[in-house]
Amino acid sequence: MSAPVLDIRGLTIALPPGGERAHAVSGASLTVAPGEMLCLVGESGSGKSVIAQATMGLLPPVLRATAGQVLLDGEDVLAAGEARLRALRCTRMAMVFQEPMTALNPVLRCGEQIDEVLAIHTRMTTAERRACTLDVLGDVHLPDPERMLASFPHQLSGGQRQRIMIAMALVLNPHLLIADEPTTALDVTTQAQILALIRELQRKHRTGVLFITHDFGVVAEIADRVAVLRHGEVVEVGSAGDVLSRPQHDYTRMLIDAVPSLVPRHRVVASDAPTVVATRALAKTYGRGGWWRRSAAGVVAATDVSLAIRRGETLGIVGESGSGKSTVARCIARLIEPTSGVIALDGVDIATLGAEALRPLRRRIQIIFQDPYRSLNPRRTVGEAIIEGPMNYGVSRAAALANARRLLELVRLDSGAIDRYPHQFSGGQRQRVCIARALAIEPELIIADEAVSALDVSVQAQVLALLDEIRARLNLAMLFITHDLRVAAQVCDRVAVMQHGRIVEHGPIAEVYANPRHEYTKALLAAAPGRDWNFGATSRRP
Amino acid sequence: MTIASRREDALRRLAHNPTVVFGVVILALIVAMGLCAPWLANVDPAAIDPAFRNQTPGAVETVRGDDGSKVEVRHWMGTDSLGRDIASRVVYGARASLVVGIAVAVLSVSIGLVVGLAAGYLRALDGVVMRLMDGLMAIPAILLAIAVVSLSSAGLVAVIIAIVVPEVPRVVRLVRSIVLSVREEPYVEAAIAVGTPTLPLVIRHILPNTLPPLIVQATYICASAILIEAILSFLGVGIPAQTPTWGNIMAEGRTLFRVYPHNILYPGIFLALTVLAVNLLGDGLRDTLDPRMRMRL
Repeated sequence: MSAPVLDIRGLTIALPPGGERAHAVSGASLTVAPGEMLCLVGESGSGKSVIAQATMGLLPPVLRATAGQVLLDGEDVLAAGEARLRALRCTRMAMVFQEPMTALNPVLRCGEQIDEVLAIHTRMTTAERRACTLDVLGDVHLPDPERMLASFPHQLSGGQRQRIMIAMALVLNPHLLIADEPTTALDVTTQAQILALIRELQRKHRTGVLFITHDFGVVAEIADRVAVLRHGEVVEVGSAGDVLSRPQHDYTRMLIDAVPSLVPRHRVVASDAPTVVATRALAKTYGRGGWWRRSAAGVVAATDVSLAIRRGETLGIVGESGSGKSTVARCIARLIEPTSGVIALDGVDIATLGAEALRPLRRRIQIIFQDPYRSLNPRRTVGEAIIEGPMNYGVSRAAALANARRLLELVRLDSGAIDRYPHQFSGGQRQRVCIARALAIEPELIIADEAVSALDVSVQAQVLALLDEIRARLNLAMLFITHDLRVAAQVCDRVAVMQHGRIVEHGPIAEVYANPRHEYTKALLAAAPGRDWNFGATSRRP
Repeated sequence: MTIASRREDALRRLAHNPTVVFGVVILALIVAMGLCAPWLANVDPAAIDPAFRNQTPGAVETVRGDDGSKVEVRHWMGTDSLGRDIASRVVYGARASLVVGIAVAVLSVSIGLVVGLAAGYLRALDGVVMRLMDGLMAIPAILLAIAVVSLSSAGLVAVIIAIVVPEVPRVVRLVRSIVLSVREEPYVEAAIAVGTPTLPLVIRHILPNTLPPLIVQATYICASAILIEAILSFLGVGIPAQTPTWGNIMAEGRTLFRVYPHNILYPGIFLALTVLAVNLLGDGLRDTLDPRMRMRL
């Protein structure tokens, strides 16, 4: 085997004193051979991005590498000065970031940004640089390269921007490409295309790729080898097949087991269960009008959405960003007013009720949001957050607090947590507090709007299990909004697939997943990363 | 860490910030000077002494009492063209400046807070209120002061009104922009979903977010109000000339500035020091209260 492009030996990076742990990365060793795709997997805070930053010489000033070497083609980049690093970046190593919108300069045309790389690192003439730029845009399969060169980043889609980033990273044929969660911000169908593109270019140019991800589906899709990182330590390295099918370390096994299976679970909902909420021809158009121009044409976020959710049932709405699934959830929770249509709650149409008329009905529908860090008021204790609802409906403070303690235990938190502030909890714990808050006023319908999307996969599995258990125990109806087909498979009984604000397919989840009828559903299922790998097969619930 | 200990933490950081300490010390000295003016000033600030006019700093005057006893009075900062003791006038002048600064800051922040919360949270009000504020902002403080004084009479209240009116729209804009971003936070939506009525919702969940930037803004308003008061008094449309304020003292000394600069120099120094101290305090508070600034530091 040829000498590795990247050889990290015993890398240790100290965290500033007083943090959770002493080292962001401790004694990490890994290698990337030419033409090899190494996936570095870990949960948030595992130090995977810090390794990437150390390799690129982009460590923030508060972090210092205290031991070890990072050898790029045999040269230690930790010892390299700023001038040498500048020369190495783009020519020998390049990086693709998670969020292409912020990684590209919004005030420069895409062509100018690629051109800048060439102007700095080569002695090409303007014409040669332009030819080279057009060439690399062809390589990343961007349609109409001439137009792309003249476009500003905001004029392109997320997938196109990420292709520009990849073109920029690979234009000088670096030996090493670091991809830091390059598809996390993208929709699943776009993600599949970008993964295929990175794979293709890597094979074509024999680039060594250090691919950072938290998603085992992505790992199964593209990795040659896998390194698993936990609390800054590499706990397992091996070929993708070995690690995925015969994980040696307990942590790896736990991570892989926590990946939800794409095979829907089977559960029977009583067919005579009463309908809790039904929508008919629900539509929402976001107006562009303001104080001056009320009649300007708006953006259609959802149109003709008809759904029914029965007691004891979980209805999933899946779709990509901008499909209107969150708009539907927020209309049903009446956080926004639908433009037209009916939302029937026990026969009462709540779609157009005013704030006062709505207040007594609000307690029957509760919503859990995506971001656990912003879902709780940082200035109020967990107890105050939970009792706010019951006290609005006339429950005494003492009774509400007693109930809050009981609820905290129900969501597996210590009842002593009641006097603590949200910042003292992890993301998963906060999401449990949000569930307790939603349950405190005894709703009939819980709306979970991407409620587990911001959580690490192991925490996600626990919160999903908790939501499912609570739905069953309290016989609730649940509306589960997600972009993740795997998550939907594990909790939903029926699923509605949304695209461009419309429901394109709707039915029992097992049927939809096994025999998708609409083209878009087929595309979504085909794009799910790692779909050929039977995750969770060993640990799936019966 | 609880909220209380977070507050202690913020106080400790403030105490370690040299800018804040410097500002607080100077401000405390000037406040003390204003409060203790009757004991600090050895001469009645309004007493006219035609025989001892335009004296340079440090001049000693022998005053004969009613019983014939002689008392020596040293005019540390000299006397003005009416023979009034400048040191006494400067000491008393601190009162006017501080009262105007604090009153304007408190009034404009409280009015601006209420209006801003209403405009930011109640969408129906927003357009009307903000256009009204745009209109108010176009009124220059000095012209307004002249108008207010001509309607009633010159005085402290007129000056405060004249400075508060153009200051309120700036506070309203600040509060409204914070409310607009905070109202989109999921925890506010969660509170709406559990049926919290509008008023408790605004007070519990939105108001606390607006306070830290407002405290900082209040210090800047205070500093600018002190300056504007001095300008108004200097122009003769502020506090009546017989009341000692730093602006009045400077106005009095303007005609003889080339010959006797001390008339303008001493009140000017105190004015500059006060404004500097308030601004330093504001900068320190901003660094401590604004989490983004703290990260940069």
